[in-house]
Amino acid sequence: MSKKSDKTAAAERPAKGATRSAGRNGQAERAEAKAKQANGTAPKYDLRNVSESAETLIGFYRQMLLIRRFEETTGEMYTRAKIGGYCHLNLGEEATIVGTMSALELRDYVFTNYREHGYILARGVDPKLIMAELFGKEAGVSKGRGGSMHLFDVESGFLGGYAIVGGQLPPATGAALAITYRGSDEVVLCQMGDATTNIGAFHESLNIAQLWKLPVIFLIVNNLYGMGTTVERASAVAELYRKACAYDMRSERVDGNDVLAVRDATRRAVEHARKESLPTLLEAVSYRFRGHSVVDPARYRPEEEVKHWRNLDPVMALAHGLREAGLIDEAGIKQIDDEINAIVVDAVRFADETPAPKPEELFTFDYATDVPNVDRSLPGDHTGITQDG
Amino acid sequence: MVTTTLSDRLADVGLADADARTLYRWLLLTRALDERIWRLNRQGQVPFAIPARGQEAAQVGSAYALRPGHDVALPYPRDLGVVLVLGMTPLEVLLSALARADDPSSAGRQLPMHWGHARLGIVSSSSPVGTQIPHAAGIALAARLRGADSVTCCFFGDGATSKSDFHEGVSFAAIHRLPIVFFCQNNGYATSVPLSLQMAIPNVADYASAYGIPGLVVDGNDVLAVYAATREAVHRARSGDGPTLLEAKTYRLLPHTSDDDDRRYRDPAEVATWEARDPLPRFRADLLAAGLLDEPSDAELLAEIHAEIDEALTQAEATATPMPDGEPSLART
Repeated sequence: MSKKSDKTAAAERPAKGATRSAGRNGQAERAEAKAKQANGTAPKYDLRNVSESAETLIGFYRQMLLIRRFEETTGEMYTRAKIGGYCHLNLGEEATIVGTMSALELRDYVFTNYREHGYILARGVDPKLIMAELFGKEAGVSKGRGGSMHLFDVESGFLGGYAIVGGQLPPATGAALAITYRGSDEVVLCQMGDATTNIGAFHESLNIAQLWKLPVIFLIVNNLYGMGTTVERASAVAELYRKACAYDMRSERVDGNDVLAVRDATRRAVEHARKESLPTLLEAVSYRFRGHSVVDPARYRPEEEVKHWRNLDPVMALAHGLREAGLIDEAGIKQIDDEINAIVVDAVRFADETPAPKPEELFTFDYATDVPNVDRSLPGDHTGITQDG
Repeated sequence: MVTTTLSDRLADVGLADADARTLYRWLLLTRALDERIWRLNRQGQVPFAIPARGQEAAQVGSAYALRPGHDVALPYPRDLGVVLVLGMTPLEVLLSALARADDPSSAGRQLPMHWGHARLGIVSSSSPVGTQIPHAAGIALAARLRGADSVTCCFFGDGATSKSDFHEGVSFAAIHRLPIVFFCQNNGYATSVPLSLQMAIPNVADYASAYGIPGLVVDGNDVLAVYAATREAVHRARSGDGPTLLEAKTYRLLPHTSDDDDRRYRDPAEVATWEARDPLPRFRADLLAAGLLDEPSDAELLAEIHAEIDEALTQAEATATPMPDGEPSLART
């Protein structure tokens, strides 16, 4: 017979949430979680019976192929020393990008980490201006001052491009607060990598977003690695969407290689945000085909694994689905290929020919000054807009 | 309803009758010293005070489950009860409160109640909320690397759980299954912000599920329940089974600090409700009912404690303040 008093018994009873997950981080469970994640499958598109028009589906393919070719060329330009600094490619993540971006409207806002070339392309920004930025040219979207990790475009609501892991989360949450403050119904999509879920800003931002009912979608692009560290080694809960339970937040996991599944999941999140003004934690599982950055040979990944995921190539899978459904033929595929190639070649030519910022304008747009202790320049000082309007 | 005697409850958690008296003495000492510091603040002698009143059971019960000097504690400023149980004397506490050169915490350099005591394994604390949580995870990792079987116990309030430090510290400890106990004293308010305006879920312990570790809610005003829960968590940590997140539900009966007016954000009726749940009279009644204490010996004990504090205060006041050009005079062993 238990001699424990009611209170002691209550004290020894694990809290509700804890019971569910106690022991989750046992070795066997981690191995199981890893196996589950690694066993991605190629999306089997049956596009004969979808409600989407051929035009929409082919549009997705075009966008995905544009990202693919743009990024391949970016990698090449980096090795040719046309691009300097840090550079992270979206190769392998095209379906996640196009799926999420196609569920947003132009008035919505996008914040991303530093692996963002594809997102700003999918927002419709001219590839020439993006490539020019990567080349560090004055015509670039950030006037050549930002580079690969700091792409920015106000008109398309693309608000960066953040180089610090997790740095985009608090400003994205703040943007969502601004929307509720103004009483409008735009939505913020805040993209991040899997390892960002272990960063403090993740906790602070998700807590506030749910508490204050903010219209923001936190998108985890789970590519299985935080640089060289697997998700299972970095997070005690490897199914990252489950971290939403700490905030009582809606969450969902989706195959990041399936552009339609990603688009549908994002649409649900957008509706939740736009209609209910509530956040969602959305996890898209995909794989990056290359290293963490262009200078990372990614020797930490087993060859078999890379091969496995290469076979799940989202761009090829969609092309295959389109052909199977008779929505496009070889000639059509070839034509799109040529068009996209021409766009990328054009972008490179433009980026190459357009001038670099003038040395004497090095400090334009900067907080830093060329001479110590002179008056600091401030944002807007060089736009010709004065305080008086 | 199953009625149980105090002796049964003690036996259940592996304690003897003598432990109950010891725990009661710690509760009384914490309460009395806390009151004295508060009064000294009102008299202009202590510049700043962070009261423990109402949370003594959570502090004393948890610290009693640690091995002083062997385990590592990272108390938060309100943890007077923790540092007393771990071995800091009323004199040492008053040296800190009065900013004396011999203050073991910081030689009179830090704010009062910023505890630190190398010999007792009490890690020096900072004023920003929650910074001790990642430090604690690092200390637990160090214990693991050294092969020591010491457990790290990290104390914080409910407000700290909304900080990024909490997420990173607990996440790191969880993934590496470090020998650590995260002990949250949830007193319902992060300074003036009530829990419902601070987090999206009702229990701090429920955060544990996001890290795959056990989380437990305990009645923070029941000293034995707190002891039992902490003992189990410490045992789990020491046996290599990783961290536990404990949440002691309690209430601070005084303002946040000596510079706070809690009437601006708390209903006096709410405070009165919790006055009725004061952990001290509650445990006293249990002891009296069980015959482990009687009125005369209770009065005697209180007088003894007041005399001890008087003596400590006289000694503390007689010591020097830090000299502008002086080195910290206390040997740090």
